[in-house]
Amino acid sequence: MAVLEWIRFLAGAALLVMGLGIFVIEMIGVFRFRYVLNRMHAAAMGDTLGIGCCMLGLIVICGWNFTSLKLFLVILFLWLSSPTSSHLIARLEVTTDEEPEKHYRRMVMRDGHAVEPEGEKPQNL
Amino acid sequence: MGNNIPGLEQAYHFLFVGALVFLAAMVILCLIRAIIGPRIADRVVAVNMMGTMVMVIIAILALFLKEGYLVDICLIYAMISFLAVIILTKVYMGVYAECMQHKGGRILRAVPPKSESAQPGAVGIEGTEPGAGGIADILPDKKQCGEEM
Repeated sequence: MAVLEWIRFLAGAALLVMGLGIFVIEMIGVFRFRYVLNRMHAAAMGDTLGIGCCMLGLIVICGWNFTSLKLFLVILFLWLSSPTSSHLIARLEVTTDEEPEKHYRRMVMRDGHAVEPEGEKPQNL
Repeated sequence: MGNNIPGLEQAYHFLFVGALVFLAAMVILCLIRAIIGPRIADRVVAVNMMGTMVMVIIAILALFLKEGYLVDICLIYAMISFLAVIILTKVYMGVYAECMQHKGGRILRAVPPKSESAQPGAVGIEGTEPGAGGIADILPDKKQCGEEM
């Protein structure tokens, strides 16, 4: 019996630590990207996969009871709410952007690939 | 958790306390991002991330203290954090629209088409057709925006 409890602990701890690692990746992305719409890409990762792994680890540790169901409901709610809030934030950013030419790179379609236009030095975005 | 098994109780304690301390450090980093974020959307994203991490903290605390009802607070926190993001974005869009109305201009400044974007085959990275106003084309008009808010 003790062995089974140790296996449960190890599985739960592995999932929890994986979720925390995804939070670290999210934070690195948020600090390294240079524009909000890029940062949102990193931030959405923690909202879905990060909290999903953490809650799954806690469910494994908690066992088969009502608390686990509530933890699963948190994941379910975030699956629905995270895309909605991301969409709203992106729309806020795009609407209130006063100087979009500073933030978007203009590409040219050539032979089916998007490339930098000639005679123009690459912008440092 | 870990009842009557030597070592397992200490292991759970170590895991939970370590995770809590780690998440506290991440929340402080989120706060730094919210302070230095140059745009409003940066701050809203950072607040959203903080909400996610606080949810994990509450869930870990619920298991750590063996108080199952704390998970209800976690669920309510998720809903309030979602509501906060919606209201913040709506308020800032309303503020921006009012600001633009005071200036008397069009709410969304049309981007003058660049010279190189007039050539055939050029596409903007945002997926709109170039030469026709760029990003401003996919945005709602002033009248639509007013009705929406």
